[in-house]
Amino acid sequence: MLRAELARGDTAAETVLPILRHLVSADHTPLFGDEILARIRGMLEHLASQLLDALAAAQGSRERRPREPEAVRTLARALLDDAALLTHLHALSLEWQLAERLEARLSLDPVVPPLLQALVASPEPETQSLAMRLLGAQARWRQGQRRMQCGLLELPAEQLHAALLTLRSLAVGGIAGFGPEDEQAARAEAALRRAYDESASRIGLAARLVMGLGGAAVTALSLEHGGVALFLTALALGSGQPREAAALCTHETQSARLALSLRVAGLSPTAVQEQLVQLHRDVVLPVGLDRLDANGAASILAGGRYGRA
Amino acid sequence: MNGGGTILARAASDADDRLLSADEPLAGLHRRCGGELPGTIAVPELLDLVRKARLYRLRIARSIFAQDAAEAITAWVEIEPTEEGDGCAIFLRSWHAAPLPPEDTREAFDRRNRVDRLVAELSAQLDGRQRVLAVTSESRELRRLAAAMEAGIGRPFTDFLAAEGRGHSEPLHWRLLDGSHVSVEGSPRDWRIVLIPHGRAGREPSGFELLLVSDEPPPLPAPPPPAKGEGASPQGLVGQDLAPVLRQPIARIVANAETIRSRLAGPLPDAYADYAGEIANAGRLLLGLLEDLSDLEVVEADGFSTAPDRIDLAEVARQAAGILGVRARAKRITILAPDTGESLDAVAEFRRVLQVLINLLGNAIRYAPEDSQIWIGLQRAGDRARVTVTDQGPGLSADEIAVVFDKFERLGRSGDGGSGLGLYISRRLALAMGGDLRVESVKGQGARFVLEVPAPETDGTAG
Repeated sequence: MLRAELARGDTAAETVLPILRHLVSADHTPLFGDEILARIRGMLEHLASQLLDALAAAQGSRERRPREPEAVRTLARALLDDAALLTHLHALSLEWQLAERLEARLSLDPVVPPLLQALVASPEPETQSLAMRLLGAQARWRQGQRRMQCGLLELPAEQLHAALLTLRSLAVGGIAGFGPEDEQAARAEAALRRAYDESASRIGLAARLVMGLGGAAVTALSLEHGGVALFLTALALGSGQPREAAALCTHETQSARLALSLRVAGLSPTAVQEQLVQLHRDVVLPVGLDRLDANGAASILAGGRYGRA
Repeated sequence: MNGGGTILARAASDADDRLLSADEPLAGLHRRCGGELPGTIAVPELLDLVRKARLYRLRIARSIFAQDAAEAITAWVEIEPTEEGDGCAIFLRSWHAAPLPPEDTREAFDRRNRVDRLVAELSAQLDGRQRVLAVTSESRELRRLAAAMEAGIGRPFTDFLAAEGRGHSEPLHWRLLDGSHVSVEGSPRDWRIVLIPHGRAGREPSGFELLLVSDEPPPLPAPPPPAKGEGASPQGLVGQDLAPVLRQPIARIVANAETIRSRLAGPLPDAYADYAGEIANAGRLLLGLLEDLSDLEVVEADGFSTAPDRIDLAEVARQAAGILGVRARAKRITILAPDTGESLDAVAEFRRVLQVLINLLGNAIRYAPEDSQIWIGLQRAGDRARVTVTDQGPGLSADEIAVVFDKFERLGRSGDGGSGLGLYISRRLALAMGGDLRVESVKGQGARFVLEVPAPETDGTAG
């Protein structure tokens, strides 16, 4: 018992220094800077309070009683254990930071980039309506990110499912303010599952729009034309990686992954360089990219450890 | 689904993620991925999503990627679990098909060998004269064979495995033995010999790896009880009995002929490679004929009916043009489909009209010259809605027009992949929808096929 405890302590102690070193030394856009951490915490707590609201609604109580901060914290901590959810929230934070940075630097509209403007004006009613709905979702998302919030029904299906399971297991044990009646949790869960429609979520709409572009999806692979949201979606679809991995590879420590992914998604070596320079002004371009065809890039990318679906 | 927009195809799955019904092109992809209808969803990414949606009881919308022998397909699907949680409704909203780049023959060869090594149930090491050096097998069925080979180390392997129809007196050239089928005493399955030569290419091999592979799975310990209820589908002799049996051997003929044609098994004079190409094409024709015959049975069955709905013919035409776009571009043919602004309401079944238009466009592409154009026109004529497909091909004479819709009519053509059933089936479909299909043409001046279906009664009524 004591020995195991000591071993756990050792592991924790050993990881202190590298993490500390990373946190202290990271200057401009760290992968987990203070802002990212705050953002993830904020989103977790927002998700937790939405789950508790659903629970309260299922109880049928008309009057909105104040949420108990203790219950929100407990649930948020439990949600933190889900690696996929954490990855997703981290990716959202990176996406938001990138959108803000490009807005400042290139005055790129985070809600309506040029490509979306063009799609909104499309003569095809279906494309046009999709584009309008994405625009609305983008605006809601921006508002949410400013408040460090994340809509529960905006999560991908897997993550929402995991969050609902977490709620279920906690509700059975009884969370502060709610008894251990699992029927109530089951009702709340069923209501949320019914309300969910992935095709109406921001990420779902973006994916459908990019798919609808067909061969022209490459046009979304330009940050200043497509905007961050469509860029990440097109990059993920084009390179066969999860969108979270696509978001991570916009970070400056990941320029090799980004270069490879863009190449796999169909950009020419010159266009890849343009995107890299646009993203990180003083980037050192990976050597040998121009000699690599899309298949070669795909095979190197598949050899990487991170982000395999 | 509140997703809105056009639905290209619908499908339904049950509580075991088996596909119960599916429209084209989803049904075709499912079959080409090795699936049966009804049967477990065969498109891997689709199965994954359907399973998730059903288990999570969440509406999921994603892109899926799949490929068959010729095309890479990207599609947008939305999956809605039923209220009871006993299945899902699947909606297909977009469909992009791109031809696969030709595979490097060396790579294909290596991959085939890797797959064979993985699935082999017996493997043996042979010397340059095909004599057994060592043998291993974990299969119960092959235990006796392995023991006999073990006892007879140093003897040619053909002493133990007699290829069908051949004696085992003298060792044949390994290329003749590679791929041949053998039966093994004590095993009900059909086995295939795979010989992988060792040593430098171009020289006589210094040794071989011998694999015994079966294309049938090993028998299950306890066979599952036969499926109940599903067997009583109204399909006839071909669709139900013949097609499933014939599809596999014909596919094997095509695959083997392709292997010869691409010289995977070694150098070969051009003429022989061409013969193999012809065998492969003939096999493909047979496969197409089989599909057509299954369709034929369906349309000729008593009580065949369609499920009419209010549809937009312009939309169907655009879909058909999109699906055949790749094939048309390969011949540099331009398909002029209705603009996105155009629409023409009709009362018919979406997928049946799509099937007819794909047939008409496919014919037009097949017979029209390169660099030509194909027009798809729309017309409202009284209580009828019309789609016309006009090509710049050789056209038809009056005699030919008289028989072109007849069953098995080929107009004297052969060897081009047609079965002579497409137009017959298309016309039956048009008639079943309360419409008609006819052709207007002058020899040498192209052909114009006119599909007519009922139009909604008055344009004013809200649909």
